[in-house]
Order: sequence, then structure tokens, then C-alpha cells
Amino acid sequence: MERHTVAGVSATVNSERSDVDAMTEQQRIQQQLHVFQSSLPKVNELAYQLLFNEIIPLSMAVEKKLLNKTNLQDDQKVAKQDDDKATKDFEKLHINASLDAPSHKMCQEISESDQTKQERVFERVRNIGFQIGNKITELLVFSNNPNLRFKDMDLLAIMKFICRDVWKQLFGKQIDNLKTNHRGTFYLFDYDYRPIQSFSLESGSAEKELALVKPFLELPIGIIMGVLSSLGYSGEEVQCMATFVNRPDDRPKSTFHKGISFHVQVNSQ
Amino acid sequence: MAIYSFWIFDRHCNCIFDREWTLSSNSSSGTVNSKQNEETAKLLYGMVFSLRSMTQKVSSGPLKNEIKSIATGKYRIHVYCTASGLQFVLITDFKQQSYTEVLQYIYSHIYVKYVAHNLFSAYDFADNKNETRGQGFRKIANRNFVQSLESFLSPMIVQ
Amino acid sequence: MSSKSSGSAQLRSLKIMGEDVWKNRTEKVNAELFTLTYGSIVSQLCIDYQRDFQKVNKQLFSMGYNIGVRLIEDFLAKTALPRCENMVKTSEAISKCAFKIFLNMTPQVTNFSPEKDAFSLIIDENPLSDFVELPMDAMKQLWYSNILCGVLKGALQMVQLECDVWFISDVLKGDAHTELRIKLNKVLKDEIPIGED
Repeated sequence: MERHTVAGVSATVNSERSDVDAMTEQQRIQQQLHVFQSSLPKVNELAYQLLFNEIIPLSMAVEKKLLNKTNLQDDQKVAKQDDDKATKDFEKLHINASLDAPSHKMCQEISESDQTKQERVFERVRNIGFQIGNKITELLVFSNNPNLRFKDMDLLAIMKFICRDVWKQLFGKQIDNLKTNHRGTFYLFDYDYRPIQSFSLESGSAEKELALVKPFLELPIGIIMGVLSSLGYSGEEVQCMATFVNRPDDRPKSTFHKGISFHVQVNSQ
Repeated sequence: MAIYSFWIFDRHCNCIFDREWTLSSNSSSGTVNSKQNEETAKLLYGMVFSLRSMTQKVSSGPLKNEIKSIATGKYRIHVYCTASGLQFVLITDFKQQSYTEVLQYIYSHIYVKYVAHNLFSAYDFADNKNETRGQGFRKIANRNFVQSLESFLSPMIVQ
Repeated sequence: MSSKSSGSAQLRSLKIMGEDVWKNRTEKVNAELFTLTYGSIVSQLCIDYQRDFQKVNKQLFSMGYNIGVRLIEDFLAKTALPRCENMVKTSEAISKCAFKIFLNMTPQVTNFSPEKDAFSLIIDENPLSDFVELPMDAMKQLWYSNILCGVLKGALQMVQLECDVWFISDVLKGDAHTELRIKLNKVLKDEIPIGED
């Protein structure tokens, strides 16, 4: 860039140059971030997806085992303890555990369970999600990402953090739409919620499908609440629910017909 | 080229999916998982099974010898087997020599996605011992699988 | 071609295949995400089973089994590998291909039994247990990564190999290294349609 002798013009030139330098600085930081993130250890997304989704059948399997345990009579319990010791010794040699029913049967069983049992399974799934939310917030807080400034985050900024950064880490995409009344009510819309895209039953079973998907939504609900809790909003003041919504017409067809709307309600005193 | 029918057999000798096109001019003609195809399925499986057993007994050396296609006077049968015991079978005319890539695509992009990753679907279609050894009846029927397969194969039904 | 050179050529090609699939045909997520999700699962199970770690071990195994029976199809679709002729080949397919493709690691294969029906995998870097420290009571009894045993058992079952899979040692328990053992019990016979036998 040419230097001009006229002071005013040269001042402009200098400030333009520093603008260019500043942008390059910003670009450089972004590039550094990108390089750093690419160098982090990775695993196959499929391994993650299968682990993530298996949490739901797992929660039902645990529920069944806990119910069986409480159904045992006391004297049966004593006999079982002796058996347990013998099997424990054997198990030191081989891990030959008895296996649970296949995952699809567990999913079926959740939707066929009574309300109380279902609620206990949902709670278990939510708790796991809550821990995931806690830990992922910690991870991102300490990740030295120049784009994230946690110090001055208000509630809206936290929700945006969930929509952009948390969702991107977990599901490879951001929340599609965020709506708020700026008074503690938020709606997060994900029209292509990734974990459930492969799920389907025979044609004409739309209702059954939605019923089977419901427990899977407790996981992101838990995650959202976990993130909020880590950043100062927890307990009674936060509520979160998920419902199915229609996908907008202009979106390309997807394999799962409905979108998910997460309704987050934060009542701060 | 024309495709007449598509079949999937599992490790329990059961036909877990069949799609037959009855009119080469209409890719939406035909049947899906039809009861009428049960006998044909058993015969088809039996034939592939016998030929596979024979070629594996006859072949020497460490490399497995797998059937790829069987030709009769009227059509060609293409087979793709997986180590997990799945057999993907296509019955076609003679215009195209090999359909291995088509069958591999169906396995990796349709079966894996909409059966293996689908937690609403069984991964093993025999619920108990009585449904093994060819006595089973359960089919892949989930809508994503059926629709994807349809989208993929329809353009190939008739040229 | 001598069997020795064709053997090592096969090994090299398994390694190359594993690396190629990992590098070019795999979508990736941060391993830390994997670690923290798994940690949340184990943590919840410890609460649910009230620190009865034998039950947690069993549950992790069972969860792994249900994953393994589905994951095997991914593996076979990506590699198009046929059934392995023997456990030596199996051990290489598992360590150089499967672990590489799914977890980006290549455990070392050692301690083959004299009959060549059992072997160990020495696991150096385990994304499941990165930075994890166990409390004292868990250290004695919990096999933290037991889900891996279930995954391997389920996957091998689907290719007609009935195996026992278990951990022998784990650095999380204070051992020198993490060793997982796989023992073949039986090669399952392929089913024959009723009436053909």
C-alpha cells in the first residue's frame, strides 16, 4: 500500500492497514483454534452414536434388574447371597455375564411400562444426560476457545452457547432455531435431531414411533439442564420439556418426520 | 438392464426381506415381503446354500471361494455374503455382468443404517430356537429401509 | 508364495486398511466427548447398583454386547472382510482394523496360548478411561472399561466365534498395564435349513 504525504490520507491508509492487520489477527486466531481442535484425539462418530443411543435401552435394563431385586423374599435373598459368592469366585476367572434382552425389545418395553416405571427410566436417562451436560460445559469452559467468553454470560448467552457450541460438539450441528420472550422462556428447535434419524417402524406406525422416541429425548433434556446447572441455573428454577413439532416445508426431506422443540423455562428470583 | 427381484437371507437360513418387481415397465409394481414368495425364498436359499457348500469344499488353499453369480437360461442370480451370515441376492437379466457393488451399497448404506443402527429394529430376526434353520418368519419392514431400498433400486429396474 | 510372506503381507494390508478407513472414510468426534459420556454412564450405574461393582461390571458387559452385535455390521461393511481362518488372523483384524477404525488405537497382540485359541490385547491409550481415577473401593472391583469386553463378545458371536472376553489387568486398578484376554470356546456351525441335513 502506498504511503501518501497528506496527513489525513495517510492516517486513513494507516487505519485501513491496521484494520487489515486486525482481521488477519482474528483469522489467525481462528486458524490456530481450528488446527488445535483438529489435533485433539478423536474417535469414530459411529462408536459415539451407538454408545449414546444405547443409554436408553440400558436404563430400562437397569430398571428391570432393580425391580427384580426388590421382589425377592428375604430367605431367598440369603440363599442368593451364598450363590452370589460362588458365582463371584467363578467370575474371577471368566466374565460370562448373563445378557439383557436386545435393545429393540428394551425400547418396546419402555413404551409398554406403566407411568411410574416409565418415569423412573426417564429420570435415569435424564441423570446421565445431566452429568454429560456438566462435564461438557467444564470441557468447553477450559478449552481456551477464544470465541467463548464465560465471564459475562447472561442467560441468553448461555442458551446460545447450548444452541451453538454444545449442540455442535454433541451432534455435529447447531440448534436450528432459538425463540425467546426474553423473560426466561426459551424454545430450541432441532428439526433434524441426529441420534434418532435411523429409527423407524413399519409404515403407518407414526404414533408408535413417536412413543418409542420419547425416552430418547430425555437425554438432551438432561444435557440442557446439566449445562444450565454448571453455569449457575439449577434446581427448582429450571424446567425443560421436549415435544414433537412439524418440520418447516422448506427443509429437505429427512428420515424422521418430526422436529424436536425443547422448551426451557428459567424462573430466576 | 432389468432387475426381477431382491432378497435378503440371514444366518438362520431365513428370508428376512424380499422385493419382487412384476412389471419391468413399472418400478412400483410387485410385492414386498409377500407370503407368496415364501416357497421361492426357500428354494432360492437352498440352491445358493448347496452351491456355496460345494464350492467351499472343493476349493483348496487359505482363500475362501465365494459364489458371486449363478446363471440359468433365463436370468442371473447375484449373491453377496457377509461374514455375519447375511446374504444379499439379486435376480436380474443378462445385461450386466456383476452387481457386487450394488449389493455392497445396499448392505453398507441401507441395511447398516436402517437395520443395524435402528434401535427399533431387531438385529437378529429369529426370536428363539424355533425360528432358526429356515423356520422363521420375521421380516425387515421398517419404512426407512423399504423407502431407501426403493429409491436406490427403482432406477435400475428398467433401462 | 511362502505362507510366511503371504501372512505378513496380509498383516500389512489389514494395517493399511484400518488406517485408510480411519483416515478417509470415518466421521470423527472428539475423544473427550466419548470419555465424558462413558464416565457419566459408569457413574450412574454405580449409583443405581449402590456401588455393587460386580453388578456394574455385568451391566457394562451386557451394554457392550448389545452394541457389539450391531457394530460388527459397520465393521464388515467398511472392510468387506470375510471370516477369519484362525484366531491369529482374528487377533490382527481386531487390533489393527477394528480398534483402529472405531477408537483410533492399535492394541498390541500378545500371550497367545499354545493351542493358539486365546490371546491378549495390551491397551495403551484407552479413550474410555482417559484421565479417569477410581476411588479406593472401585479400584478393587470395578473393571471400568468392561463395555469393551461385551462389544468384542457380541461382535465375535455374530461371526460364529463363541468367545470369553475379560480383563486380566487394568492401569486404573494400579496394575502395570491394561490387558484384555479373548479365548475361543467354540466355532459355531453355520445353520442348515431343516430338511437339508
